Amino acid sequence: MKFQIEDVTVYFPYDNIYPEQYAYMVELKRALDAKGHCLLEMPTGTGKTIALLSLITSYALSKPSNPIKFIYCTRTVHEMEKTLSELKLLHNYQLQHLGPAAKILALGLSSRKNLCINPTVVSAENRDSVDAACRKLTASWVRELAAENPRIPTCSFFENYEKSASEAILPPGVYTLQDLRAYGKLKGWCPYFLARHMVQLANVVVYSYQYLLDPKVAGIISKEMQRESVVVFDEAHNIDNVCIEALSVSVRMQTLEGATRNINRMSQEIDRFKATDAGRLRAEYNRLVEGLALRGDLPASDAWLANPALPNDILKEAVPGNIRRAEHFLSVLRRLVQYIRGRLQTENVEKEGPVAFVASVNTQAGIDQKMLRFCYDRLHSLMLTLEISDTDEFLHIQTICDFATLVGTYTRGFSIIIEPFDERMPHIPDPVLQLCCHDASLAIKPVFERFQSVVITSGTLSPIDLYPRLLNFNPVVSRSFTMSLTRDCICPMVLTRGSDQLPVSTKYDLRSDPGVEKNYGKLLLEMVSVVPDGIVCFFVSYSYMDGIVNSWHETGLLKEIMQHKLVFIETQDVVETTLALDNYRKACDCGRGAVFFSVARGKVAEGIDFDRHYGRLVIMFGVPFQYTLSRILLARLEYLRDTFQIKEGDFLTFDALRQAAQCVGRVIRSKADYGMMIFADKRYSRHDKRSKLPGWILSHLRDAHLNLSTDMAAHIAREGIKEEGSQMIIKVAVLDLSIACDST
Amino acid sequence: MMNRDINGEGRKFNRGEEEEEEDEDEESGRGRDAWERTYADERSWESLQEDESGLLRPIDNKALHHAQYRRRLRTATTAGIQKGLIRYLYIVIDLSRAAGEMDYKPSRMVVVARQVEAFIREFFDQNPLSQIGLVTLKDGVAQCLTDLGGSPESHIKALMGKLECSGDSSLQNGLDLVHDLLNQIPSYGHREVLILYSALSTCDPGDIMETIQKCKSAKIRCSIIGLSAELYICKYLCQETGGLYSVALDEPHLKELVLEHAPPPPAIAEFAIANLIKMGFPQRAAEGVISICSCHKEAKFGGGYTCPRCKARVCELPTECRICGLTLVSSPHLARSYHHLFPITPFDDVSPSITNIPHKLPKSCFGCQQSLLNPGNLPGPWVACPKCKQHFCLDCDIYIHESLHNCPGCESFKQSNSVTNMEV
Repeated sequence: MKFQIEDVTVYFPYDNIYPEQYAYMVELKRALDAKGHCLLEMPTGTGKTIALLSLITSYALSKPSNPIKFIYCTRTVHEMEKTLSELKLLHNYQLQHLGPAAKILALGLSSRKNLCINPTVVSAENRDSVDAACRKLTASWVRELAAENPRIPTCSFFENYEKSASEAILPPGVYTLQDLRAYGKLKGWCPYFLARHMVQLANVVVYSYQYLLDPKVAGIISKEMQRESVVVFDEAHNIDNVCIEALSVSVRMQTLEGATRNINRMSQEIDRFKATDAGRLRAEYNRLVEGLALRGDLPASDAWLANPALPNDILKEAVPGNIRRAEHFLSVLRRLVQYIRGRLQTENVEKEGPVAFVASVNTQAGIDQKMLRFCYDRLHSLMLTLEISDTDEFLHIQTICDFATLVGTYTRGFSIIIEPFDERMPHIPDPVLQLCCHDASLAIKPVFERFQSVVITSGTLSPIDLYPRLLNFNPVVSRSFTMSLTRDCICPMVLTRGSDQLPVSTKYDLRSDPGVEKNYGKLLLEMVSVVPDGIVCFFVSYSYMDGIVNSWHETGLLKEIMQHKLVFIETQDVVETTLALDNYRKACDCGRGAVFFSVARGKVAEGIDFDRHYGRLVIMFGVPFQYTLSRILLARLEYLRDTFQIKEGDFLTFDALRQAAQCVGRVIRSKADYGMMIFADKRYSRHDKRSKLPGWILSHLRDAHLNLSTDMAAHIAREGIKEEGSQMIIKVAVLDLSIACDST
Repeated sequence: MMNRDINGEGRKFNRGEEEEEEDEDEESGRGRDAWERTYADERSWESLQEDESGLLRPIDNKALHHAQYRRRLRTATTAGIQKGLIRYLYIVIDLSRAAGEMDYKPSRMVVVARQVEAFIREFFDQNPLSQIGLVTLKDGVAQCLTDLGGSPESHIKALMGKLECSGDSSLQNGLDLVHDLLNQIPSYGHREVLILYSALSTCDPGDIMETIQKCKSAKIRCSIIGLSAELYICKYLCQETGGLYSVALDEPHLKELVLEHAPPPPAIAEFAIANLIKMGFPQRAAEGVISICSCHKEAKFGGGYTCPRCKARVCELPTECRICGLTLVSSPHLARSYHHLFPITPFDDVSPSITNIPHKLPKSCFGCQQSLLNPGNLPGPWVACPKCKQHFCLDCDIYIHESLHNCPGCESFKQSNSVTNMEV
C-alpha cells in the first residue's frame, strides 16, 4: 500500500499496516526532518524492521536532490539476512510502483568468515584464522612475490577482482550475504573486497554494530560514510554494554606469554630484514618522522569518522622519536609486558585510575603517556613493514597495544582492576588485569556527532529516559509504542508464593533456602503438566541454575518433570548448547514436549527466539540482577553516580528488568503467536520493579495476576492456554486495523 | 452474533473477576469454584427480560440462533462438490493418564465416551453406507477395540466396557495401527481418522514425521480434537493430511466439534474419479427361519438378511458379505446418503423492507401453515426459497435443511407442472 505522511509518500509492501507501525513511522519521520537522534520502543512482532525500512527508503526517494545514506546495524548475521530479505521485498514493491527511479544499491557486510568463497580459506575454523588465511593469499607482498614465482598460492577471486579494478562494481539491487557470494562466484570476484568497496557507494548498508562502535574496525570500514546518513541500531537494548565492551580490554597471563612470543618473533624478523633489506626499515622510519597524518592510509581531513581511541590531535603529531625505530619500539613493548607481568603477580585486588597507572608505568618502566598512546598505530605500521600476514598469531600483542593506547588516551571513564583470582574460585590463581570502560557514551559519541540522525530502537527500552543519560545524547523524539491486539496473546503473571504460601525469591538470603527451591520445582512441575509443547525457563545465573537443578534432582522433582517433558540445559559451551537447542526444537516438533533451562544474560537469552510452539510459556525464576560484588560493576556504578547522577539501585533494577523483559519477550515474535509469561519472584510485585517493565507487557498484566501462588498460576495457565489454542485455530490470521490511505 | 461475542467477552471477564475473589478468600477452597462456575458461566439471569406486564420471560433467542445456524449452513453447503459418501472412519480415543483428569466432569474419558456415543449414532444416521472402527491409546500402545463395522450398538458396547485409563499415549502407534487397518479397505472408500486427544504430549517409539507422511501418501484424512491445549504435532498432522484440528473448551463445545465430523467431508481430489461399485440389496429373511449367520457364526432365529449372490445370512446392514465380499446395503441407506450430494440451497432472508408491501405476501408458512406474523400482527423474521419463492418460518427452515433435505415448495411445484427430475 501507498500512503502519505506529511510530504513523504511511503511505500509499504503489505496491504495492511498496524496502527502502531503507522505511529512509529510518523515519529521517525519527524526525527529525520529535524535531523536529530531518536529513541523508539516498539514490541517485537509488530513489524518494526519493515516500518523502519519502508519509511527511511521512502524518505530518501522523496528527496532525490539530497540523497541520504541508510546504515542499519544489527547484532547478528541472522538478523542481517532477515533485514535484507525484507528490504528485498520492499525494493521489489517500490520498483513496481516507481519504476527504475526507485533503484537502490543495498548490501550486507560481514566478516570474511561469512563472505569468503575461496574453499581453502573459508574452511578455517574461526574468524581470525579465516582473516589470516585470506591475508596470506592477498597481502601486497605475497602477490608481488607470486608475480615472480607462480608457485606461491594466491586467491584467484581476489586477483580477478583486482584485475577488473574500476569495473568491479555491483549493479543496483538488494544483496544479502548469500547473494553477494553467489554474485562473486558468478563473476569470479572476491565478494568480501567487493562489498567493502561498494559500501561507500551503496544507498543502504546493513552490518554489525562493531563496524560503527568498535574504534579499530570503524576506522577502516566506516570512516568515509557521508554525514547525511541515517544510522539505525536495531535491538539496541544492550547498546551501552556493546559500547563498553568495545573499549574494554582484559589481559591474562596467557596474553602476556603470547605477547612475549610475538615480540621475539618480530625481533627475529627485524634482524632478518636488517640483513637483507635494511632500506625498508629506514623508509618506515622516515615515514614516521613525517607523522601519521601524512601517511597515505590516514587522511588528515576531518571528513572521516573520528576514532575515539585516537583523538584528532594525535594525527597531527609525529610519532615520538623513541619508538620510531623498530627495535626501540620492541624494547618498549618488552618493558611494558614485563611491567604488566609484575603487576599481575600481586596477591590483592587492586584498583586504580588510568592516570595513576600511567604515572606508575612511567616511573617503573620509563614509558610515558605519549608513547603508550601511539602503540596501536606503531604496531600496525611495524607489522605492515615486516610483512606479517598470519595476523591471527599476533592477537596477543595487539591486545597489549590496544590496552596501551586506551590507557594512554583517556584519563576519565576508565579504571584498571587487577584481580589475582576469580571471586568464586579463590583457590585457583588466575590473575587478570582489566581495563574497564564505564562510560558507554565514549564509544558512541563519534557516531552521534558524525551522522545526521541516529535511531536507537528495540522491543525493550524501558525506562526510555535512562538511555539518553547513559549514552549522553539529546534525542529529538523518544517514544514507546504498545501493541494493538485483537485478543490477549500474551498473559504475564507475577508469582510471589509457592503452593505453601511461602514467598519465593532469588534474593541472597532466600535463594539457597530448600523451601524456595522446592516451590520453584513445584511450579515447574505444575506447568509442565498443563502447558503443551515447549517451555523455557530462565535462571539468574549458571551457578544458581546448577544448584537448583541439582537439588531438584536429589528430591526427585526432576524425574517427575521428565515424565511430562524432556529437559534440556544451556551450558557455557557453545557447541553443547547448540546441540541442546536443536534437540529441544526436535522434541517440540514431534510432540514429546520439552523444557529448556537457560540463563538470563546468556547467549540463548539474547539471540534465540522461542516463538510459536517452541515457547508456549516462559518462566523467569528470580530477578536477574548482575553479580553485584563484581569490582567492574561497582566501579561502573560509582562512575555513573558521580558523572551522570544515576543512583546505583536505579541502574541495577533497570538493568535486571531489561534482561527479564528481554528473556520473556523471546516467546512472542508475531501477533499470530501466543504465550504466557511467569515472573516468579515476590520482588516483581513491588511497584518500583514492575513499573520498569516495558509498556506492552504491563498493559497485559492484570491486577488480579500480580500476586499469585503456584496453584492459582497453574489454573490460569490451564484455562488461558486452552482458550488461546482454541481461538488460534479458528482465526489463524488476525485481522488488523488497516489505515485506508490510498492517496495519489 | 454480536450479542454472542459480547457474551463471550463477558464470560472471560467474569472468570477474571472470579479469580480475584478467589484471591481474597482462599480458605473456602477450590471445590466451591466448580459449581459456582456452572452458574457464573451460563449467566442465566441475563437471559431473562421483563415484558410489558412486568413478567419475567426468557429472551427470544430464536432469531439469534437461527442466524447462527444459517451462517453455518452457508459455509457448509457448497453444492456441486463431490463428497465422500462411503467413509471408513476410525475413532481413536486417548485413554492415557491424562484422560483421567477431572477438568471435564466427571472425567475426560467419560465425557469423551459420551460424545463418541452420540457421534456414532449421528454418524450412521447421516452416513448409512459408512463404517466405523474404534482404537484406544493406552500405556504407550494402540489397541483395536472394534473392527470396522456398521452397527452402532456393538461399538458403543465395546467402548463403554473399556473405560479405564493409564500410561502415556503414543500418537505414532495409533496412526500406525490405523494405517495398517485402513490399508485393507477398497479404494473407493474414504479413509478417515478422528482422534480425541487428551494428553499434552506423545511418547513415540520412532519418528512420527515418517508416519505422518505415510498417512498422507495413503490418503488418510486425520482430524484431531484436543481436550487440553493446542499441540503443534497435532496441528501439523491435520494440516498435512487435510483434516480439521480443534481444541475443545468445555463439554458443549466438545460436542459441537465432534458433531462437525458427522457430515461427509469433500472428497480428496485423487479419489474424485468416478468408479462404479457393485452392491447387493439383500432381502430380509422370513420370520421364524433358523439359519447360521455368517457374521457371528451361530444359529440365529428369524430376522437377518440374505446375500443376493451367495445366499449367506447376515445380521445387519450395511455390511460386506463374509462369504463373497459383496457390499450389502438397503435402498434407504443409499437414499439417505444421497442428499449430501445435492444440498438444498440456503433460503434467503426476507428483509423487512420487502415485508412492508403487504398484499403480495402470504400470511402463513408454506411448510407448517402457521402464521408468519408475530403476536401483535407485526411481521416476524422469515425466509424464502430462492427457487420456488415460497415463504417459510424459521423452524421449518431448519427442519427442511437438517432433516427433510427436500424443499416442499419446489417438490409441489414440480408435481403440478409435471416436470420430473428437473434438478436432481
